[in-house]
Amino acid sequence: MMSFEEIEHTADRAFRVTGHDMMALLENAARTMQALDGDGAKTTAERVETREIEVEGVDGESLLVNWLNEILYLEQAHQVVCEQFHIDDLKNHCLRARVETWECDRTYTRIKAVTFHNLKIRETSEGLEAEIVVDV
Amino acid sequence: MLGKEHIERVAEHVWEIPKTFRADMRVPARLYADEDLLDAALLDNSLVQLVNTATLPGVIRYVIAMPDIHQGYGFPIGGVVATRLPEGAISPGGVGYDINCGVRLLASLASVQEIRPNLEEIAARLYANCPSGVGSHGQLRLNNGELDQVLHEGSRWMMGNGYASRDDLDRTEEFGRIPGADAAFVSDRARERGRNQLGTLGAGNHFIEVDEIAEVYDQATATRLGLFSGNVTVQIHCGSRGFGHQICEDYVSRFQKTARDYGIELPDRELVCAPFDSSDGQEYFRAMACAANFAFANRQLLAHLIRRSFEEVLAGKIKDFELHQVYDIAHNMAKIEEHEINGRSVRVCVHRKGATRAFGPGSSVLPDDLRDLGQPVLIPGSMGTASYVLIGTRAAMQQTFGSTCHGAGRVMSRAKARKMVSGTALRDQLRSRGILICAGSMSGLAEEAPAAYKDVSWVVEVVHKLGIGRKIARLEPLAVIKG
Repeated sequence: MMSFEEIEHTADRAFRVTGHDMMALLENAARTMQALDGDGAKTTAERVETREIEVEGVDGESLLVNWLNEILYLEQAHQVVCEQFHIDDLKNHCLRARVETWECDRTYTRIKAVTFHNLKIRETSEGLEAEIVVDV
Repeated sequence: MLGKEHIERVAEHVWEIPKTFRADMRVPARLYADEDLLDAALLDNSLVQLVNTATLPGVIRYVIAMPDIHQGYGFPIGGVVATRLPEGAISPGGVGYDINCGVRLLASLASVQEIRPNLEEIAARLYANCPSGVGSHGQLRLNNGELDQVLHEGSRWMMGNGYASRDDLDRTEEFGRIPGADAAFVSDRARERGRNQLGTLGAGNHFIEVDEIAEVYDQATATRLGLFSGNVTVQIHCGSRGFGHQICEDYVSRFQKTARDYGIELPDRELVCAPFDSSDGQEYFRAMACAANFAFANRQLLAHLIRRSFEEVLAGKIKDFELHQVYDIAHNMAKIEEHEINGRSVRVCVHRKGATRAFGPGSSVLPDDLRDLGQPVLIPGSMGTASYVLIGTRAAMQQTFGSTCHGAGRVMSRAKARKMVSGTALRDQLRSRGILICAGSMSGLAEEAPAAYKDVSWVVEVVHKLGIGRKIARLEPLAVIKG
């Protein structure tokens, strides 16, 4: 079950995301980021493809940032919209995932990049939680 | 918790958070603002972010926030931080993702009365000719060799290919080319994201705006800049697009480990940095310079597309619609500069994050015809409000590392603006005031509503009173093109 909350941020955008474990946190963070970009170009989507991607970080936080930035890179470099995130493998701050990408004429994604600003993955009674600031 | 009780007034409109406020501060933090703007800054985390920048290795004198300060990530927006060279830090997150985001102002000798009957057509043509939106692609397709030339040469490449004049380059900060750029330190990913994005506007707060020169405060200076009351100008606000985003991302990610290797402890991971003279610092600086040159080239190509749009609509209808360049300034950059500190000239790396260079009269880096005047400074307002042309001052050189504000500064979160404002209603409301809006995203438009920003006239008035920028002219919007 995905759970997120947008947090007030003066210049950019921020959201809180939770997950019962690291894999769920990563998948939920990707879905949340996509949900934030409300004007997504799904209406012009034409062709779907499943891509396999691998991402690594020096710790949990950098893995989280690099994973989300990988999605932004895919969208902007390949003119696609990413949906359906499945992490198949996660160990030692490295992940292997499948992402569905929808080809589109033009991307309206407004998030430029995911930042490390005050980023800390915290343990809670229900799993993990992080607050992520994105540059728009 | 940072409160007003921790802040000392050191001069009229100058406030200081002393070094003793937090043990990790290396220098004090200064805010240039009146008391109301100080109170506004205390409403979000911007002053804490400013204090965080005072912990950067090699930081010198004091860190500075401009009156348009607001919360960003890492640095506050409106932040100016200088580090002593050669060993002081350079911080990719401090410069930010939109490297060399900046403003260009073009001016014509045509009056509003002459242009207005054609305004709808001009706006439509600008929207069609200047691609907008984050992932938008331009018409220029470059191979790797050509892209590298753009990265090394910036606006000079545009001049060599018929998209710029010598006058355009003379009226651009650094003449449209930051020295030291080396594409060897640019990733394939950055090239991939940037290759087709030259001549595109992007999204967020980026825009093209057709304006009227509504008021001139200094006739002699305005005349020298080619600005005359009642005439039409065009502003371009954008940066290095996906190319710059990727450069920043590459180095912020890499420096997560590098900063630890150098034993640098920071209160926020977005501030990660490396010594300027280290191989890591140099590689980032050379890649950043590539992104800066990409941004100069991008605004230059947009200027070309805007001139073509004016030509398409106005040729044969009115005279003197040609657009000459007033100036082009950067507001997200780390630059090597010499500044006088305690009577001695010191070489520093000045990070300006949402702040504008404002060099005063006599600066040797200005073109010959502007040297006695000072550098033009362009301060765009929020959508639907005024923008200003200022001139750099000696006071800015003495107090703020030759820097001033960059805009109005936000006061309302994007989330709140979207809740409070309807993009469609805002567009209709501005239209009823005679301001045309062409935008790809209505929610994006709502986020940029005037109510989400401070009053730019107030911010500029404070800057003018402080003497870190002198008012020359005020522009009022006629048409806005947004991503």
